[in-house]
Amino acid sequence: MSYTYSVFKDETKLDISYVPARLIHRERELRLLEEFFSFIFKTPGKMTQRVIIAGAVGTGKTALAQRFGIDIMKKAEEHNLRFRYIHVNCREYRGSLFLILHHVVSAFHPNFPRRGFSSEEMLRILMQILDEQDVHVILTLDEFESLVERDGSEAVYKLTRLQETRLGMPQRLSMIFIVRSLKPLESLDPSSRSTLQSNIICLDAYTQEQLVDILNDRVKLAFKPFTVMEETVNLIAELASSEGGNARLAIELLWRAGKYADAEGFNIVTPECARKAASSIYVLAKKSDLAYLGLHEKLFLLGVARLFKESDRAYATLSELERAYMIVCEEYGETPHSHTQLWKYLQNLAAQGILKAKVSSQGQRGRKTLISLLGIPAEELDKTITQLLGRK
Amino acid sequence: MTFSEDKMAIEEILGSRSRLRILKLLYMLGELNLSGIARRIKVSYREVKKHIQILETAGLVTYKRFGRIKLYRLNESSSKVKAIEALIDAWEES
Repeated sequence: MSYTYSVFKDETKLDISYVPARLIHRERELRLLEEFFSFIFKTPGKMTQRVIIAGAVGTGKTALAQRFGIDIMKKAEEHNLRFRYIHVNCREYRGSLFLILHHVVSAFHPNFPRRGFSSEEMLRILMQILDEQDVHVILTLDEFESLVERDGSEAVYKLTRLQETRLGMPQRLSMIFIVRSLKPLESLDPSSRSTLQSNIICLDAYTQEQLVDILNDRVKLAFKPFTVMEETVNLIAELASSEGGNARLAIELLWRAGKYADAEGFNIVTPECARKAASSIYVLAKKSDLAYLGLHEKLFLLGVARLFKESDRAYATLSELERAYMIVCEEYGETPHSHTQLWKYLQNLAAQGILKAKVSSQGQRGRKTLISLLGIPAEELDKTITQLLGRK
Repeated sequence: MTFSEDKMAIEEILGSRSRLRILKLLYMLGELNLSGIARRIKVSYREVKKHIQILETAGLVTYKRFGRIKLYRLNESSSKVKAIEALIDAWEES
């Protein structure tokens, strides 16, 4: 039996569907959500609630709602309350209110037929089921924009004004709407809009430091001890931060970097693995763009590529890169350009998304500029630039 | 011919291949409407309706109405249903 070493301990902890037990940097929002729905235990059946969670891609909207759902189900069980949390991604059901409601009804009656009903009838049937089973539900409509886009104000109105047609009956259906932005809701008519926008939780993009915390938490859960370099985590956080503070992307990059380490037979996940992972997901720098760089920009970049290729580091100072550039110039028989000129090259390469320069405050004597290579593996960059320069 | 629960002989009920298949299907899937049963056992809607009526009269199936449709399920309070379930289990296990 052959045994292949893996840096992973449990890679399912990096899966998109994994809901972490602790939502790092979303604790406040989770508490707020719990507060909004605390009435479920205090006065069940007496009221319902509608909450909007808004935030860009990868800001933890779905994880927040799902963590809340798992926690509240557990609490309901402790309180002997008949309660269900149902999470539906509207896009999966092409934004159709009917299909979404059918999915919800199917949570209670798995073989419920699809044909022959309108969405109003499906809504009535859902309420009949909730009444008969004496159950309370929080229904989360994830990617709610797709429902708004497809079925518009009427669908939203039907959902949100439901309780008004059930006067004197227990209130059973609360809702959480997840949207990337509040903008699509502006297309709704005023009455539908007014029923929605009461409680809004806005999730800001994660900062680079927050992404580092999230990644470190996942590293502990998913990787064997000491297999992921701190610099790898920092580089991934930087990459994801430059893509709008996207934690989902950060976690995917971490997983891919681990996969590259396994494929190469490394027992450690290096920054180069992270660069390979990034270049497999999205193209930060096109190879064709490299061809248009000036000779000394290419030489400088070749120095950068070689330094990172040989050192397993994510960051280097400008003086280190300058030394690497000088060696390359010597190899190619070129007179090195001045430090000021190199600074300009650095700015240009950063503007093109090939390199990233940040000022470090950790230096003992003043501040240092730390440069990282984004999105292109150093090995690939070395090969491409060498080809473009024509081997001497 | 009328069907009443105590008058129906076991061979009358279980002697039909379609009725046995319906009972087995409901045991496996929990509940279904008439069209769902017809589609799965590849028998016409009319046939299924006839068999379901017999099973209902015999007290073996029950239903819940949702708007225009009925979802049929085995009548779990019937001792005969429990015996049929045990029979299916024994048959499937062997």
